[in-house]
Amino acid sequence: MSESEEPNVVVTSERLQSVIEALSYASVDEFDSCLALLQRAGETKDEFSELETAFSIFVRELGEAKSELNRTVSQQEAINRELEAKLETIEMQQAAIRELSTPIIEVWASVLCLPVVGIVDSQRSAEMTETLLETIVSKQARMAIVDITGIDVMDTKTADHFIKMARAVRLLGAECIISGINPGIAQTLTHIGVDLTGIRTLRSLRDALQLYLRETEQLVVHQHSQLARKLSSEG
Amino acid sequence: MQAETRVYPIRERSNAIVAASQSRRLALAAGLPTRRAMELAIVVSELASNIVKHGVKGEIRITWDPDSPPHGELVVEAHDVGPPIHDLELAMTDGYDDRGPIDPALILRRRGLGTGLGAVARLCDRVEYRQEEGGKVVTARFFAR
Repeated sequence: MSESEEPNVVVTSERLQSVIEALSYASVDEFDSCLALLQRAGETKDEFSELETAFSIFVRELGEAKSELNRTVSQQEAINRELEAKLETIEMQQAAIRELSTPIIEVWASVLCLPVVGIVDSQRSAEMTETLLETIVSKQARMAIVDITGIDVMDTKTADHFIKMARAVRLLGAECIISGINPGIAQTLTHIGVDLTGIRTLRSLRDALQLYLRETEQLVVHQHSQLARKLSSEG
Repeated sequence: MQAETRVYPIRERSNAIVAASQSRRLALAAGLPTRRAMELAIVVSELASNIVKHGVKGEIRITWDPDSPPHGELVVEAHDVGPPIHDLELAMTDGYDDRGPIDPALILRRRGLGTGLGAVARLCDRVEYRQEEGGKVVTARFFAR
């Protein structure tokens, strides 16, 4: 650079200081304070003020870009939160679906009911067996009613498995009644020649419950009379 | 009317349940009788359960093609990236997998009956199998009558 043709620009250290200060404001995202400083500094018009102006334009644009970015980021965060909530819902629903596929209800003291609805495939019938047998043991059930009123169609092997499930229940010392067999499944069962001896089947869940009540009635009467005797002997 | 395909990604058990119940609706909408729609749902359920159990991950594709002669057909395709089926005919035999009879204890451990593909073969009109790059496809066809 030639010293004679291009004169030096004289800048007071105060102006230089304020530009440095403005820069440090900008570096910590304090764009408003930065711009205010530059505006005050830019009152003198000379070559250095061009630099100040350019700097202030740059800072303004940077500020705008930054706030735009912040807006987008916060929007994105909101979307992410929403997605996470949805995922959580899906996970809960998946768990609910799994649970609902084998609901076992204790309909009466030591009487379990497994209402089967929907689509029964081989895996589901295997799961049902497992859950039913475990529940019979844990609840010390004396009777399990498997109600298949809600099932129109079953594969022959799956139907066969239901009968095996009934036998497994008997092995545990409980009784298994299959209720609500529809004509289609009745045909399926006889068609594949399943041995139905010892398997109690009833038309409806209601019939199954009535049967249980009739059978336990005697027992209950017996227990009541025992209790009455005990009370009277104590009294 | 154009052939319409629905895709259900299968990763876990609940996906299989959803795919099966949706396929039943699809079959009913296509005009299949109730009983047939239920059989289709069982097939979808078996195939989807197999994907969850053996196929690592995959998807069920259900296509209703009304123009397929004579009265249209519903095609269930089970795609997965698991190992190929060694011997399909053997695998379709109840109590067998693709290499031979399954040990009853193993059947219990697999939490199934070993009759899934057998059920598929019994309930649909035609089963096809092909290997693709990076996976396999089991196809079950239901002809509308």
